[in-house]
Amino acid sequence: MLFSLRELVQWLGFATFELFMHLGAFLIFSVLVALHVDVFTLGLSWWLVFVPLFAADGLSTYFTTIVSIRLYQEGDRRLAVLRLLWVLTVLSLKLVCEVLLCQKLAEQEQARELWFGLIVSPIFILLQLLMIRACRVN
Amino acid sequence: MARLASWLVEQPSLDRHTLPLLLEVDSNPDPNMSLAQRVLLTWIFTLVFLIMLVLKLDEKIHWNWFLIFLPVWTFDTILLLMIIVKMVGRCKPGFDPHNATQDLKKRIWYLVAMLLKLAFCLTLCARLENLTNIYLSFVFVPLWALMIGAMVELGYNVFHFRRD
Repeated sequence: MLFSLRELVQWLGFATFELFMHLGAFLIFSVLVALHVDVFTLGLSWWLVFVPLFAADGLSTYFTTIVSIRLYQEGDRRLAVLRLLWVLTVLSLKLVCEVLLCQKLAEQEQARELWFGLIVSPIFILLQLLMIRACRVN
Repeated sequence: MARLASWLVEQPSLDRHTLPLLLEVDSNPDPNMSLAQRVLLTWIFTLVFLIMLVLKLDEKIHWNWFLIFLPVWTFDTILLLMIIVKMVGRCKPGFDPHNATQDLKKRIWYLVAMLLKLAFCLTLCARLENLTNIYLSFVFVPLWALMIGAMVELGYNVFHFRRD
């Protein structure tokens, strides 16, 4: 629409398959959120609802590690290290945000001092990094 | 898993030599705007929306949810206008009919996707403002349709090019 798939792959630094995987995980997550809110009797905990997102992060980390090792072995060392660093930074920021949000939702009384500005702060950092990367890709 | 990972090595983000050959789906959606300009446009609206959302969730401001979503409405309107202008551009006398049907299908899908996103945001705002008391599942239906469509498109690109 506004970006082509090729531009998104270049900008975000993730392979098309990884984007597909994260989108699928978010779809399952949204279904679980709807079930959690609409069907109280199901007894789904918020940590269980967030499992697809955690799983996607884990799988993405696994793939990136293997891909980087393969790239390193094939002699493309700079690209391997850069890709590993970038993907791990993005995934760790995403994971921190998800864990904090999950904690806030799961333990509403205990996590009262955990305000949303703090929860979203990794996303703000990620936005700055993405902007810098866009200038580099351009 | 290991085979999948070895295949990922061949992905376009990793190999800048094969990059131009792959994923020539829509190589330049808007030739008048550079990537940095489009990123900046998206970045500004996302940042403003996130700031307003955080302030609302932390109860620092007590604005209407429709007002909180103002950056989303503005951004969607810009995108919708861009799509409509592109579609109207087909009626110009100098239009090149090469790949026209494929292009039209793509534009129609983009238009439907934008309308689905708008429908989701509108029903979500209505639900948050307690204007309606429908199930959250119904609110999510447009989003699910949009995401399934996006996954089909992404999956086609992943597996179609793999087969080639």
